[in-house]
Amino acid sequence: MDAPEVSRNLAQKAGYSFTLLSDPDASVIRRYQLLHSHGGPEDADISRPAEFLVDSSGTVRWTNFTEDIRVRARAAEMLAAAASIN
Amino acid sequence: MRQRNWFLWTGTLVLVLAFALGAVPFIAQLPGQGALPWLDLLLSILAVVLVILGLRLAIREPQRYRGKAMGWIFTAVSSLLLVFSCLAFYGARQIPQANAAPHIGQKAPDFELKDTSGRNISLAQLLAEPLNASQNSRPKAVLLVFYRGYW
Repeated sequence: MDAPEVSRNLAQKAGYSFTLLSDPDASVIRRYQLLHSHGGPEDADISRPAEFLVDSSGTVRWTNFTEDIRVRARAAEMLAAAASIN
Repeated sequence: MRQRNWFLWTGTLVLVLAFALGAVPFIAQLPGQGALPWLDLLLSILAVVLVILGLRLAIREPQRYRGKAMGWIFTAVSSLLLVFSCLAFYGARQIPQANAAPHIGQKAPDFELKDTSGRNISLAQLLAEPLNASQNSRPKAVLLVFYRGYW
């Protein structure tokens, strides 16, 4: 949701080296059917939390859709899912 | 003979635990963290029950058990914490279902978005291009993480 500049600040502060993409109009969030209408501050439309592992053929191989925004996929779970792909 | 009001003491201890757990961010990457919201609710309920039992003892048998004033105070505090825990639990789960989202075995819809330098990046590109120049091989997979803006 954040604009590229906001994400840039975040990536610089936190030292992230992965690709951080911005979806300011939530178009990809909508395409992935993950829109949480009015879920953000000031009634903004944001994304429900979701994690996907996509293999090189573009097929989804692992997903995580939490029921509680306080509980997200753990790095260890995501690494384990990635390790299972040859 | 005076006896210790164990209900009140244990209830107070559980109350402190419930409070501490509520303050821990559940995104702390703990194993089994999916159970933490339920544990928080359970501890909050347990604290109220124990404290009320302790208060009841103090009221019914004042010559044996102390803790009337403390009992009333902790009953109020633990009830308040329970209300907050319930509201937090309810609020955190008010998110739409992901039934229509891409599932395992389906193709992930392609997209193109701007990265932090303002360059357009597509999923197809992420899947095809090596992560850095020193690697020639294509990545085996791409992890897509949809987050709510900042967290």
